[in-house]
Amino acid sequence: MDKKTLIRLEKLNQLSLTESEEAAALDFFARRGNQAEALNGINTDDTERMVHVMPMTNVIREDKQSKVFTRDQLLEGAPESMDGYWQVPRLVD
Amino acid sequence: MNKYITKAAESAAKAVVLDDMILTVGMPTTAGSKMLDGYNSLFESEAVTKLKSAGYGIAGKANTGEFGLDFLGETSHFGACADESGNLISGCAAAINDGDAFAAVSLDTNGTPRRAAALAGLTCLKPTYGTVSRYGIVPAACSGEAVSVTAKCAADVAEVADCIIAHDFKDGTSLPEEVCNSIKGNIKQGEFKKVAVIKNLVDSADSDTQAKIASACTALNNSGIATEEINDEILPLSQSAWFILMSAEACNNISRYDGIKFGYRSPNYKNIDELYTNSRTEAFGLLTKLTVLYGSECLSDDNYMPVYDKAMRIRRVISEHLNSLFEKYDALLLPACSKTAYSEDEVKSDIDTAYNESLYTAPASISGVPAVACAGVQFIGKALSDKVLLGLAQICEKEA
Repeated sequence: MDKKTLIRLEKLNQLSLTESEEAAALDFFARRGNQAEALNGINTDDTERMVHVMPMTNVIREDKQSKVFTRDQLLEGAPESMDGYWQVPRLVD
Repeated sequence: MNKYITKAAESAAKAVVLDDMILTVGMPTTAGSKMLDGYNSLFESEAVTKLKSAGYGIAGKANTGEFGLDFLGETSHFGACADESGNLISGCAAAINDGDAFAAVSLDTNGTPRRAAALAGLTCLKPTYGTVSRYGIVPAACSGEAVSVTAKCAADVAEVADCIIAHDFKDGTSLPEEVCNSIKGNIKQGEFKKVAVIKNLVDSADSDTQAKIASACTALNNSGIATEEINDEILPLSQSAWFILMSAEACNNISRYDGIKFGYRSPNYKNIDELYTNSRTEAFGLLTKLTVLYGSECLSDDNYMPVYDKAMRIRRVISEHLNSLFEKYDALLLPACSKTAYSEDEVKSDIDTAYNESLYTAPASISGVPAVACAGVQFIGKALSDKVLLGLAQICEKEA
């Protein structure tokens, strides 16, 4: 991974690393990339990917209302709220 | 010591300590992160509900590394938990050893509860994936993480595990009731014939750890169980493959923390983009950031097939390989970590520690099979052989 890619990923993930963190990240990713090379030593052309480790069956349940949280309860954890709504900066000028 | 993030006001007679990845009502749940500092959940995890129904009290919320991604709690926003010698110990393990709690229930995302038990002389079961509900945990790597139980001995682990093992319709990955019930009950005794010792992984650990493996072999042999050393080149692939899958899943799961609906919000912003970026940047530690970024790269258009898809195929290779081993052996014996003690300073100074040490824990994480850490070593068994592994643990506990 090069620095340009790293900066693109930072933007994509809403993160901003310092220069020293970026240097550490590039080293970290280089080591992980080298180690992951070992996986290419195994031919998996005829191997299906494994998404679930255990057999999965679709879960179907009755469509009925269970516990419902109130507006006030949901806003208890909000960093900022106003008049019963989450408060955010102006999105449109 | 720093073992708790929140300690219960009153101690119960038979109390269980929870790591802070387990949602509770009435006590904050932080996942060891500044992002969730002071966060109060509106609902509790299914495991906690079952523990309370069975009469257990909650001793408190133990310190944990940020989102369970680290080695042994060293990335906690609240500071690592270390003993008087400066060696890392998990908050849960410290609470048990100090007599605060009968057992611990914690989330095994990247092996932390298993290595914590191995280092603290405790016994830990990471049960078969899907037998304990993951409803109400702070998710990071959903396809492999498991709610685990730690206690002073296998019998105590089994008692608490039986209480929380059950089908839960609220967890889409929960196994059917009859399957969950099949692993409840007595610890298996006297049904073992042969255990494979993974020599190349044992050789990669230090001499003290190798001595613990040797002691475990002696205990097994004295009980009439044969041990056979094998070199295995497939199991080490779990390390890279699990890191890819864990990072990709963590990237998605951690994307929910945006400073809007709950959690930390930076005071430094002029617009919505700055709110998102500054909140996440100020709240997450470096390992979490690197995991998210690596996961994002693995899922990118260029890397999805050669990296992420490859890791999922390798997961099947490992799983099928394990199944073939379990046709010949009752269990595999390997270290839970490479040393018998780790200073807080050495772990904090090397950001690769969590990755390096996952060499021993990733095989069970990526394949969903059960694992037990005890007497400083680790057993891995086939799916639903949880009580067989606890039986082996009991044999080692007697000799330890």
